[in-house]
Amino acid sequence: MSPAARRVIFLFALVIMAPAARLVAHSMPTFGAATSRYASTVNELAPRLRHVSNMVAAVNFDIRGFDTLAEETMLLCAVVGAVILLRGSRGERDSDKAGVLPGRADIARSDATTLVCRVGGTALLLFGAYVALHGTVTPGGGFQGGVIASSALLLLYLGEGYRCWRNLIHSAVLAAFEGVGALVFVLAAAWPLAQGHPALDNLLPLGKFKDLYSGGAIFLTNCAVGLAVTGSFGQLILEFLEETRSPEDESEPNEADT
Amino acid sequence: MKPLVMTALILTALTGLLVVLSRDPARQVFALAANGLMLGILFFVLQAPDVAYSQIAVGTAVTPLLYLATLAALRINKEHK
Repeated sequence: MSPAARRVIFLFALVIMAPAARLVAHSMPTFGAATSRYASTVNELAPRLRHVSNMVAAVNFDIRGFDTLAEETMLLCAVVGAVILLRGSRGERDSDKAGVLPGRADIARSDATTLVCRVGGTALLLFGAYVALHGTVTPGGGFQGGVIASSALLLLYLGEGYRCWRNLIHSAVLAAFEGVGALVFVLAAAWPLAQGHPALDNLLPLGKFKDLYSGGAIFLTNCAVGLAVTGSFGQLILEFLEETRSPEDESEPNEADT
Repeated sequence: MKPLVMTALILTALTGLLVVLSRDPARQVFALAANGLMLGILFFVLQAPDVAYSQIAVGTAVTPLLYLATLAALRINKEHK
């Protein structure tokens, strides 16, 4: 399409959409002044009914827990799809060995880089675990903790180099994290069902308000999501990085393998 | 609106503009990472630390890495053909 034609279509769309956009913009709450009735209701009820002080966790894992279960499954499917797609052209055989690219120089890390990455990566991994575990008490939660933990894996890669990193991080372990996390969430939804309650009903003891183990099932599902997200993102990073290694000739789909 | 929020909003818009204006994909990835970081800081300033966590981890670390890996894979693929 020529730029002139695009401009005509753009102007046409602008004329139609502008009044609607104006209407929507004017009926929105003013900037920074948004306190919805839903939010104040949750703030009022969640500490009393669920003993949690992070309302986001209460909404995500209890009040609207079923939505999160669907999102969790979606993430699992997306990552499994990506892994199948990438491994499909590479083959399953060497998936636990670091790929190499002939002719690529193995750049040695300076001591300073290694030190900073070891200290920083470990601290970040710990911080991710902290954020995930304290999901019911402080801002954060399973997803946040999981992505922080998996970005800590990147720092380890930066400091140690690819081969050593692949010796540390095993695809099977990440897959287990991913699967166990998703399974625990599904069980947390199915267990109350089997007992004749609604799915994801909070049957576990709720614990003390502002305590690490507060929230009952919220704590459990929150940790499950943390595990699954760490596994999913780690797996995704690993598969993408492996994609920059394998040379073309060896990575053809191998019919003899199937 | 507080000056801090204003600054964060403007910087987010500016880094977003950088993403659109950079034509070389490899540079664009870093512009995207800067935009992701700025967006994370904006969320933090707006008192949403949990959203800021995931935005900073996903937007400045994971997504740019996946783009870089893809660019590298494309280049390797081209060299081998």
